[in-house]
Amino acid sequence: MAAEQWCHLQSAALPERVQTLNNSTTVLSSNNARRPRLRRLRIASWAPVIVLLLLCAIISVINPNFLSFGNMVRISQSAMIPLVLGIGATFIILMGSIDLSVEGVLTLAAVILSMLVLNGENANDYGLFAVAAVLIVGAGVGFINGLINVRLKVPSFMTTLGTWFIGVGVANALLGGMATRINDPWIRGLAIERFWGFPWGVWVALLCLLIALIIQNYTRLGRHIYALGGGEELAALSGISVARVRIAAFTIAGVFYAVGGILAAAQLGLGNAQIGNGRLFTTITAVVVGGTSLSGGQGSVLQTLVGVLIVVVLSNGMVLMGVPPSVQIGVQGLMIIAAVALSIDRKLTKIIK
Amino acid sequence: MVRNIELGLGRPLKRRQLLKGAAAIAAAGMFPAIISRRGNAADMPTLVNSIRSLSNPYHATWNAGGAAFAKSVGAEYVTLVTEGNSEKGIADIKAILAKTGGNCAINIDPNDAPDARPIVEACKEAGAYVVTQWNKPADLHPWDYNPNYVAHISFSGVPYGKAMAEALFKSMGGKGGIVALGGIESNVPAIERKAGLEQALKENPGIQLLDFQVANWSDTEALEKTNAWLTQFGDKIGGIWAANDGMGLAAIEALRADGRAGKVPVTGIDGIKLAVEAIQKGEMAGTVAWDPFWQGGMGLAIAFDAKTGVFDPAKEPKDHREFYGTGVIITGENAQAYYDTNIKSEPTLDWKDIWGRASGQIQYN
Repeated sequence: MAAEQWCHLQSAALPERVQTLNNSTTVLSSNNARRPRLRRLRIASWAPVIVLLLLCAIISVINPNFLSFGNMVRISQSAMIPLVLGIGATFIILMGSIDLSVEGVLTLAAVILSMLVLNGENANDYGLFAVAAVLIVGAGVGFINGLINVRLKVPSFMTTLGTWFIGVGVANALLGGMATRINDPWIRGLAIERFWGFPWGVWVALLCLLIALIIQNYTRLGRHIYALGGGEELAALSGISVARVRIAAFTIAGVFYAVGGILAAAQLGLGNAQIGNGRLFTTITAVVVGGTSLSGGQGSVLQTLVGVLIVVVLSNGMVLMGVPPSVQIGVQGLMIIAAVALSIDRKLTKIIK
Repeated sequence: MVRNIELGLGRPLKRRQLLKGAAAIAAAGMFPAIISRRGNAADMPTLVNSIRSLSNPYHATWNAGGAAFAKSVGAEYVTLVTEGNSEKGIADIKAILAKTGGNCAINIDPNDAPDARPIVEACKEAGAYVVTQWNKPADLHPWDYNPNYVAHISFSGVPYGKAMAEALFKSMGGKGGIVALGGIESNVPAIERKAGLEQALKENPGIQLLDFQVANWSDTEALEKTNAWLTQFGDKIGGIWAANDGMGLAAIEALRADGRAGKVPVTGIDGIKLAVEAIQKGEMAGTVAWDPFWQGGMGLAIAFDAKTGVFDPAKEPKDHREFYGTGVIITGENAQAYYDTNIKSEPTLDWKDIWGRASGQIQYN
């Protein structure tokens, strides 16, 4: 019986394994026969960067102000929140899952923060403890996401859809629909005070990027996340605890969303239950435009940085170039398709869902 | 006998399970209508407010107004929330009509204009009395559904969009460049407020509109558009007109990050608490309060008075059946007074004065 089961698993896992091996050889091997393919793949993975540079070039020709230092600062301000959110989502998408709880966690984090730091509604003034509490809340929601996904075997799409609504719902209940003004100088300072010309929030986002890069490239968890995205059965057979990796990845993503919530609250100077509206779309767009594959296993947080910059530069540039408001959303749609189309290696992709 | 039903899930589903599931779904659908507090008086009509959500200050205040009126007459009070879902909005109304046997007075902000018709028809059939606000089709009139469709209340965006533009121009000294943030392009209030802005621009040739952008009522988008403007126009921006307070406050935050909050006047519309505070601080030049507390309470009061026979809707003139409410224009001069009476303490309204803020019959073009 046991042997039969093993055989069954083997045969099921086999095609998957062949494909995964194939993928890794194309990336890693320096085998001569593989060369042309290797180069193609490299160009494909640079496509988002090329798109970004092209975009910058076009915009600066039409409006030279684009390249001014002041505008670079403003673009970095607009990019900091999508970057932090995108980093979190990248880990989940790399596993081949999806995380829709971005807005839920962000809203909850912003609202709880606004109620715990010095604010216009109550007498609380917990400062850094509030920040720690918010990060723990983010981790908690992420942990619950992972737990439901793994233990109850609810697909990540539905799990995180649920926690999204729960997060916004709780935030709603906490504030009763009102907005809370944040008066804490430290929190506001993230958006207003500067270091080397850039707001502190931008440095926080870059620190998050650094941490994410370390997790991705230098930890076992990072490698396991890639392994899960490449082929979960194989990863399980080779002794990786799939459940543990999933829960850890969702928890880490939750922390990043909470950081996004802190930055959003700092930027708008308030917490309310609508602060997250529209952020999920930007986040997923940025991750995918950066070249991270929705089917998992391919991509990186650095590519997400490029994706975020494309999205932010485009929306900044459209205002600078005087594109009519009614056309802007359509241009964004075109950009998504173009960027993804450029970065896909069609030879490796056999099935399109 | 067919015991198992295949649902294409590769696993047979027992019929009993299916029925259980269906029952659960039906029960869940009824749930929102069931949560309500029991009133004492059996024949006292139930008071119902139906609004989009409780997640924004506007509707939360609306709900507070409704609760205040219900308390003043000692009736049972129910809040229905559509969460932006028209189907749910209509289903919840039908559920409450069935539950009360039509003995209710309803004040509703329909999720979308077409929703008003089935709601009004259901109320007429059940004998309930209804007041609608903001959204209804132009050819649906209260006098066609006497006496149950008591009134429709709206606010014209044009004069207030214009008033805010004028307040902005005044604080700029009558000349310079402005940028403007609009709401969702297809949204009636957004269109009207923009039209008001355009009228004011026409009358003030000293003011130049540098750019108009749509920020879709979103704080985040408003912040980003303002950021881009700061690059594009820099010091040429003498003022910012925003079609609502949320976007205006976000524009102020963009200015603050640039070290210019309080130097460039900004106006909003809606009269939320944070906007009034910003006016007191000198960062905002003006806003218009629709007074959602009045909308939530007085809408119910009008329906309640019609239901209890205080007046006969059929005998009221048309400018009491379809009317524009009156907004309160708040600038630096009256911000403190408004804050003290409306925000610091719960406003006290005379619920008997039901037509006090009717300022003319609604015009359709």
